[in-house]
Amino acid sequence: MSFVVQLTINGLIAGSVYALVASGFSLIYSTNRFMHFAHGISVVVASYILYTLFSIAQIPFFLSILPTLFLSALFGFFVYLLVYSPLQSRNASNVVLLIASIGVLILFQNVLQAVYGANVKTINLLETNKGIEIFGASVTHLQLVIIFFSLFLFIFFNFFMRKTRLGKEMRAIADNKELSRIVGINDRLIAGASFVIGSFFAGIAGIFIGLEYNLFPTMGTDLIIKGFTGAVIGGVGSVPGAIIGAYILGLAENYGIAFLPSGFKDAISFVLLFIFLLFKPSGLLGIRRNGE
Amino acid sequence: MILLFVVHVLILISIYILLAVSLNLVLGYTGRVNLGHVALFGIGAYTSALLYINGIPFVIAFLASGFFAGFSGFVLIFATKRLKGDYYALATLGFSFIVYSLLLNLTSITRGPLGIAGIKKPELFGFAITNNFSYLTFSSIIVLISVFIIWRIVSSPFGILLGAMRDDETALKVLGKDTKMLKYKAMGISAFFAGISGSLFAHYISFIDPGTFTISEIILVLTIVIVGGIASTKGSIVASAIIVVIPELLRFLPLPGGIAGPMRQILYSIILIVLLLYKPRGLFGRIELE
Repeated sequence: MSFVVQLTINGLIAGSVYALVASGFSLIYSTNRFMHFAHGISVVVASYILYTLFSIAQIPFFLSILPTLFLSALFGFFVYLLVYSPLQSRNASNVVLLIASIGVLILFQNVLQAVYGANVKTINLLETNKGIEIFGASVTHLQLVIIFFSLFLFIFFNFFMRKTRLGKEMRAIADNKELSRIVGINDRLIAGASFVIGSFFAGIAGIFIGLEYNLFPTMGTDLIIKGFTGAVIGGVGSVPGAIIGAYILGLAENYGIAFLPSGFKDAISFVLLFIFLLFKPSGLLGIRRNGE
Repeated sequence: MILLFVVHVLILISIYILLAVSLNLVLGYTGRVNLGHVALFGIGAYTSALLYINGIPFVIAFLASGFFAGFSGFVLIFATKRLKGDYYALATLGFSFIVYSLLLNLTSITRGPLGIAGIKKPELFGFAITNNFSYLTFSSIIVLISVFIIWRIVSSPFGILLGAMRDDETALKVLGKDTKMLKYKAMGISAFFAGISGSLFAHYISFIDPGTFTISEIILVLTIVIVGGIASTKGSIVASAIIVVIPELLRFLPLPGGIAGPMRQILYSIILIVLLLYKPRGLFGRIELE
C-alpha cells in the first residue's frame, strides 16, 4: 500500500514539474503553431540564474525569485524576437523553425556549460530534507509546495485564459488565426506575449527544478522531451490538455519503474511519445491541424 | 605531428561526408527531415563493433552495419508513414531517443553506459589496417564508392522521381507512381549508408558509447547539410570539410580546458541559426527546406 502511495506521490511531483514545462510550451505552440523546443533551455537558464543570484551572489531567496522570473521571460522574448520572428516573416516552414529551435537549445546548453562547467550544481535553500509521512510514503515540504503551487497556478492560469482580454485573444488566435486578425487582434503582439508568459512559466519551473534537483547544463533536452511528451499526450495545442498529459506521463513513468528496471524510466516517455505521435498525434484533448 | 593531425582530420571529414550525403538523400530528395539519422549512424557503429569484437570477419560486420541500419530506417519510415513536416521530424527525434535508451539499457548486449572500448581497425582479406594512413586510404575508398553510388542514384530516373515527389507529391501520384515505395527506398538507401559511416567511425575512433549519438551530433550533421545546401551532394561534401575543420582550428587557440568542447557546439549552432536566418539555401542549394 505505502509503495503504491509513494509511487503516486513521486508521479505527482514529476507530473507537476513536467506540467510546468508543458504548459508554457503548449501556450507558445497554440498561438504560434510551431514547436519551441528551446523552451527546455529557458527552464534551465532560469535555474542557473537563480543559482547565480542566490548561491553565488548570496542574494536572499525571495529577492532572487523576481529577477529570475523577469530574466527568463525576457530570455524567451528575445529568442522569439531574434530567431523566430525573422523566420516567420519570411514564411519559413515549421520544420525550419523546429531546427532553429533545436539549434537555440544546443547553443545555450553549451553556453551554460562553458560558463558554469559541466559538473552538477545544487541550490541549498533548505538545509534539512526531512519529509513528512502520508500513508507510509514520505514527501518533503518542498515537494508538497511544488504539487500544490502548480495546481494553484494552473487554476489561476485557466481563469486568466478565460476571463481576461489577453487570454481570450490568445485563445482566439489559437483557434483561428486568420479570423482573429480580421477582427483586429494583433497576432504578432499575441505571439510575443505568449513567449513572455510561456517563458515566465519556464522560470517558475526552473526555480522548482533548481530547488528539487541537481543542475547540469544538458538537462534542458531531457526536460523539453518530458514537457513535449506530456503536451503530445494531452494535445499540443491545448494548454489544459498538455497539463493533464504531463501528469499522466509523470504517473506512467513512476508506475512503470515498478515493473521495469529504473534505467528504462526515460524510455517510457520516449515510447509514449512515439506511440502518440504515430497513432494519435492530436492527443487526448487536442485539435487537429489542417492537413494532418 | 602536423601530418598526423591532418590525416586525423581527413578521416573525420571522409566519415562526415558519407553521413551528410546520406542524410541529404532523404532530406533533399524526399523533403523529410530525419532527426533519427544519427541514431542510424549509431546502430551501424554498434553493429559493426559488436560483430567484429566477437570474431566475425570485418567484411561481414561492415555490410551488416549497413543492412541493419537500413532495416531500422525502413522500420522507422514505415512506422511514421502518416506523419508530415515537424510531426515527422519529432517522431524521428523520438526514434533517436528510443535507440539511445536501448543502447544505454540493453547492457548485456551493448555494455550500456560503459560503451565499447578497444574496437580494432579492420583486417581485410588478410591485409591489416594498422595505422591512420592506411585507414585514411580505406575510408576514402569506401566513401568515394558510396558517394558515387548515391550520386548515381540521385541523377538516375529514380532520383528525378524523388525530386518530383518532394516538389509535388500529388502530381506524381496522379501519374500513377507509388510515392510511398519511393520514400521507403530512399530511406532504406540513406539508412544503409548512415550505418556504413557508423562502422567507419567506430573502427577509427575505437571507442563508442551511447553518448556519442545524441542530439548534439544531429545538429552537427544537419548543419553540414544546410551549409552545403539541400539536395546538393557537392555542397554536402564541401560543407563537411568546412564544418569539421573549423572547430579543429579552435585547438590552436589558447582556450582553457573544458571550454573547447562547448565552443565547437556553440559554433555549430550559431552557424546553423545564422544560415537558417540569412542564407537558407546554403552554399550550393537550389531549394529551401519546407
